[in-house]
Amino acid sequence: MYHLDTLGSAKAFVAALLIGVAFGFFLERAGFGSSRKLAGVFYFSDMTVIKVMFTAVMTALLGLSICVACGWVSMDAIYLMPTVYGAHIIGGLVFGVGFVMGGWCPGTAAAGLACGKADALIFLGGAVAGSALFNEVFRLVRPLYEAGDRGVVFVYNSLGVSRIGFTLLLSVAAVLMFWGCEWIEDKRRREPRSRHENSVLKVVSVALPALAVLVAAVGIDANGHESIAAVGAITSIAAETQLLDAVEQAQDHIDPADLADRLVNGEPGLVVVDIRPPEEYAHFHIRGATNISMKEIYRNLMPYKNIGTIVLYSDGMTHPVQIRDSLYRMGFRNAYILTDGLDGFVQRCLTPVSLRGEPVPPATADRIRLWRSSFLDSGDSKPAQMARMSDEWAWLVSAEWLEKHLGDRNVKVIDLRSQPEYNSGHIAGSLALAVENLRTNVNGVGSMLQPADMLARHVSLMGIRPEDTVVFVHGDKVHDATLAGMAMERIGHKHYAILIGGFEQWKADNKPLTTELPGFSVSSYPVVPDADSFTVDYKTVLEYVRKKSAVIIDVRPADYYAGTKSDEARAGHIPGAINRPYTEDIAKAGDIQQLKSIDELGKVYSQIIPSKDAAVVVHCRTGHQASQTFFVLKHLLGYRRPSWYDGGWAEWVARTDLPIESAAAPRK
Amino acid sequence: MKKQKNENQNFMNPYLAGTGLGLTLLLSFLTLGAGLGASSGIARIAACAELCIARTHTLSSEYFGKWGDAPLRYYLVFMLAGTFLGALCSALMADRVHLRVERGEKASNRLRLAYSFAGGVLVGFASRLANGCTSGQALTGSALLLTGSFVFLVCIFVGGYSTAWLFRRQWND
Repeated sequence: MYHLDTLGSAKAFVAALLIGVAFGFFLERAGFGSSRKLAGVFYFSDMTVIKVMFTAVMTALLGLSICVACGWVSMDAIYLMPTVYGAHIIGGLVFGVGFVMGGWCPGTAAAGLACGKADALIFLGGAVAGSALFNEVFRLVRPLYEAGDRGVVFVYNSLGVSRIGFTLLLSVAAVLMFWGCEWIEDKRRREPRSRHENSVLKVVSVALPALAVLVAAVGIDANGHESIAAVGAITSIAAETQLLDAVEQAQDHIDPADLADRLVNGEPGLVVVDIRPPEEYAHFHIRGATNISMKEIYRNLMPYKNIGTIVLYSDGMTHPVQIRDSLYRMGFRNAYILTDGLDGFVQRCLTPVSLRGEPVPPATADRIRLWRSSFLDSGDSKPAQMARMSDEWAWLVSAEWLEKHLGDRNVKVIDLRSQPEYNSGHIAGSLALAVENLRTNVNGVGSMLQPADMLARHVSLMGIRPEDTVVFVHGDKVHDATLAGMAMERIGHKHYAILIGGFEQWKADNKPLTTELPGFSVSSYPVVPDADSFTVDYKTVLEYVRKKSAVIIDVRPADYYAGTKSDEARAGHIPGAINRPYTEDIAKAGDIQQLKSIDELGKVYSQIIPSKDAAVVVHCRTGHQASQTFFVLKHLLGYRRPSWYDGGWAEWVARTDLPIESAAAPRK
Repeated sequence: MKKQKNENQNFMNPYLAGTGLGLTLLLSFLTLGAGLGASSGIARIAACAELCIARTHTLSSEYFGKWGDAPLRYYLVFMLAGTFLGALCSALMADRVHLRVERGEKASNRLRLAYSFAGGVLVGFASRLANGCTSGQALTGSALLLTGSFVFLVCIFVGGYSTAWLFRRQWND
């Protein structure tokens, strides 16, 4: 029910209640309705706790391993708790003290209460108070609560042994522990163990290791490899058989013509993934395909697991097949490979009728013509894709390019000028957006770019999909377009571009305008929470300042940098920061504003930043202007490690414990 | 004293009881897709109590707030209720339901109850910190071979054994 997300259903509640009944029944049977018996383990007078606990752990562990090996259940379907070292160590120690002090733990106290123990009731009252206390001081303990978070980690991986080896070891250790417990109790006991007790102990001592060996036998295949994988995705013979069945029934691939039709029809939820290297993708790809590297496949496709259709392709079949099978093992039932890959697609769908060796029926010829017009640039018989500057993705597009691609299904145009300006005439199909609406107050700092989930919702309402190319049209501020670009980066959007010269260029070129609202449909943009690895907070910047390990570029006007002008309580700049006003990167021609040429920008920044791999932080007052410098460095000049301090000077200066530097009072 | 001795003899063999518990846990994995738990139920009750006292404060708090205004609608609350009922059945069958404070003969009720309460507070707090108690982390997580759960289990015994001497008086006969 966990994997189907139905733990909140009435059925789950009834199941939980019944399982609870069994749980409580065995707890009480074992004698855990007595605090004295429980506490006895800490005084070596009664070792029942250890005996029961480890027998239960081993029973469940071995039982589950058998169920997984037989394909009755997958580990994917079970909730696995993350390992958080700080919380687990401190939590364990405090829990241990509370346990020995109170003589109960939560589950046994419920059993104790059923036996009429007043101390159990008081203990439960204390536990309720302790939980409430945790909530009240959560803000303070949060760092500990999250300290050393490693995600889901298995103990055999932590110890560097195999799952099977560890299980065998644990079963032997449990048996030894049981005999140790009996030995401790024997020393205190007057009468010897009963024959019944003796025989149960002996049966358990043989059964646990024997079952562990059985699990090992089922889990290791003829080649000596563990088919029970070491990582979370535990596969099984049955699951593999299922996978092979799907392959046999040809449920694993999709025909090029079928894909072409579905793309042309704009099927919702269709995700086409190009797994070739980015350079090859940039050179040519199926229009609408997203480029994802092999390493990032799982993470990037997670939002599409069993939603819609995923089609994988490269120029051969091998890699897509392996990835598809891997996805299948991870529970994806909606991943397909494109038959014969990209080459097959070009041959089957994009080769002109005139060049085909065999005669083509008229209906097919029509389809081919439709495909060619949809997947190839009009009037161009050679496969070509989007506007390109050299072999890179074009981060800047010309008005000519945009005009040619206005009707494309995958091109979304966003107009960043004011509402009245938009209303009095805009590019056909463009949607209006005020960039300020992408910002909000985060943690007390105003004008911060919104978190990824809010931005994803925002772009969904504008009908933008992950595979779209978004073109930003700015008015008199190029940095409006780059700030909107930051929003796209934060949600992990691959393709966006800025119209060179913005709206004024379009107007100057006498391109057509309209006052009509565009037709569009709302999309559902998936939230990829970790796409943003470029935004840094003041702590990171402070670290850089202390260690002098990054180039900090302050893009505000020179008088603000110098401290002669200020809108804040303190004037000056971050210690060690270099001033390069963002306006210096702009070329103006009348009303038309655009970024200076790449050569010109490249020369300037090579003077400021020692290498393309140097760590760089850009900031301004609120993050708006700095987004432009970030765009220049990252996308136009190819710096590999620029980061963006969104909080900027406004936050830095308001945190009075942070150091500043100004021309008036130079650093000591 | 005589009665207590009788009670003890009625307890199930620990290895059989442990096997029963292990099968219960396995059943939980197979049906719910999640293991056993007890402290979450207690925390949900705490959230519910806080909601009754200070509604807006609780709803806006970072930890309890995310459970919404009906924190008891949660499977582990039902499991906790089940645990009580199951234990009650077993105790009634064995005639082990007696109202009393369990303590050493020489210890006072006050001392025992004070320790119970303080221990409860620590356990309640630590369970939230570690995202589970002996049931949800130590038992369930160890059966799943999760590193954090093993660390938690070991630390419980370290914390318990290292301070047991301080709290021994409540069990003096």
